[in-house]
Amino acid sequence: MPRKSQSPLDKAARLLDLVPYIHAHQGIALEALAKTFGVTEKELTEDLTTLWMCGLPGYTPLELMDLSFDSGYVSIRNAATLEKPRSITLEEAVALILGLDLIFSVIPTDRQDLISLTQSLRERILHIVKLPPSISVTPHLQPQIQVVISAALADNSGLVIEYHSLYRDELSSRTILPIELQQEQGHSYLHAYCYSANDFRFFRVDRITKAEKTKVERPKDLVPHEIPKVPFRAQVLRSSRETAERFGLGEISVGEEFASSSYSTEWIERAFLASGDSLKLIAPSQMRESLAKRAQSILDRYL
Amino acid sequence: MYFLVADVQQKVRTVSRKSERLVNLTIALLATKRYLTKSEIFHSVDGYEGSHESKERMFERDKDDLRSLGIEIEVGSFDPLFNDEAGYRIKRESYELNLGEVSPLEVSLLSLASSAWQGASLSSAAQSAFVKLASLGIPIDELDLPGIAPVLPDAGPEIASITRAIAEHRILEFTYLNSELQREVREIVPTGLKSNNGFWYLSGVDQAIQEKRTFRLDRILGDFSVGKVQKDFDFADEKKAGDTYDAVKITFFAIVDVRQGKCAALRVLATDIKRIGEWDQLTIPILNIDTLTSLILWHGEDAFVQQPIELREQIIYRLQSLVSNHA
Repeated sequence: MPRKSQSPLDKAARLLDLVPYIHAHQGIALEALAKTFGVTEKELTEDLTTLWMCGLPGYTPLELMDLSFDSGYVSIRNAATLEKPRSITLEEAVALILGLDLIFSVIPTDRQDLISLTQSLRERILHIVKLPPSISVTPHLQPQIQVVISAALADNSGLVIEYHSLYRDELSSRTILPIELQQEQGHSYLHAYCYSANDFRFFRVDRITKAEKTKVERPKDLVPHEIPKVPFRAQVLRSSRETAERFGLGEISVGEEFASSSYSTEWIERAFLASGDSLKLIAPSQMRESLAKRAQSILDRYL
Repeated sequence: MYFLVADVQQKVRTVSRKSERLVNLTIALLATKRYLTKSEIFHSVDGYEGSHESKERMFERDKDDLRSLGIEIEVGSFDPLFNDEAGYRIKRESYELNLGEVSPLEVSLLSLASSAWQGASLSSAAQSAFVKLASLGIPIDELDLPGIAPVLPDAGPEIASITRAIAEHRILEFTYLNSELQREVREIVPTGLKSNNGFWYLSGVDQAIQEKRTFRLDRILGDFSVGKVQKDFDFADEKKAGDTYDAVKITFFAIVDVRQGKCAALRVLATDIKRIGEWDQLTIPILNIDTLTSLILWHGEDAFVQQPIELREQIIYRLQSLVSNHA
């Protein structure tokens, strides 16, 4: 929970939101309330003390809000004008709409009831903040696979997966023990022990085409092996964003040299083929020769 | 030390007094059935002190502050028959969250939606939205959805200003890394934001060419500057904007032969697959000829372009460069 700032305006917003929340949760523990609003108990007590002084003009006990919180549990009476929650802000609406899109994608197709509820909620929220419908999320993961992975992670079971390796351009079946999901550069990766490789591997979740739970023995040796990386060096010949993104180069200029490495020589060769005239592989020289030869043999078919 | 403590106490008191006044003003303006004039407000709402000028200044600032919280203050006349002093009030309908009839099942869908932002860009907005929903006093139904909590990709801190610009039709200006890796300043009227395949895309009408373009957020360098409102912007043809990104009309296709069991990344793009002996023939729509050329070359000897001639020429040119650069 991020720390809330303490400007008078933030505090006023929080006070306005505290009233309906307490109204709907009479007798809530101070601690739980503080946690919901992302403040310390001390800050919350200050908030409640301030609220205690608020009410309708006149400010006699009849018009003031009646809060009690001495016992460590909070309740409110006389909150009439503020007892309904404030309308949602644009930012909150966007957060909900995009969240709903995501939920939408994981609803099983036989739950027509939930599908139409989600759509109707989306429209009602858009309407409140007057946003165009052109804000949306299309998750790229197959929900069923995500479900199976989550379940395997939750109960430490193994998985049989079908995986498409991009650099081998092969579909392979592997037995793995999932360890954790990681997010990097917009993609989800599953870190797992792979029984085919007898080692730890990362699998890009969107390249897992099938997943089924299976029983596995926990591997004895849980220390990852060092896989040797193949170093290479290259020079930029033409500025290309696509090439820069493929090699993770950022803004690099023509003529500049860079050094990098990969676990797979296959990946290096394919990456240079795909980069065409924008890069020159300098080292290792063996790989440079085989790249030239391979390009020539592909070229021969066209000429 | 003594001064410091006094300072802090003073600050806490000022913060509280100001927030207290804002809350009292909100309550008074919500409770009133008719417009309250400024003098009535100064007289009855707690916290307006000092000279008339300083009360006026306080009130002006308070109004702006409440508006920045999204609270609409209506200005109107106390008595429509007389052209007298303006009055103020907050309409209950605009202040309160109104989603119509909300069922327990809907509340649980919305709370699940708000939890999709764990740690990502809008997580604190999602949390405050959740608090408001929980304040409706509607019990939450257990959702019998598979035990998953899908999580959205992080879009960085700019997502809030982008959505605001979309809602208000404001011009956005930013520096974009173009396909030749050059920095370009672009000015657009934003129309949509979309997350697809792990990336966020912003689309809008490019002001320089008056055509719709799509930008990947992670290719935008530095900050956005949010400009003025584009008044006569026609949102009517944005009705379908949700699918602008994929609704590009494709009239240009490539015919590519691929070895059987290979080229999975090309096969997913194909609109048609024909079997020809040991090879399969794919029909692939061409969205961007450069990207397609690279993807075909990635597959080496397992892919061969039959048509069109432009794509073949690109492939040949790049292969010739590869040969001469590495010989």
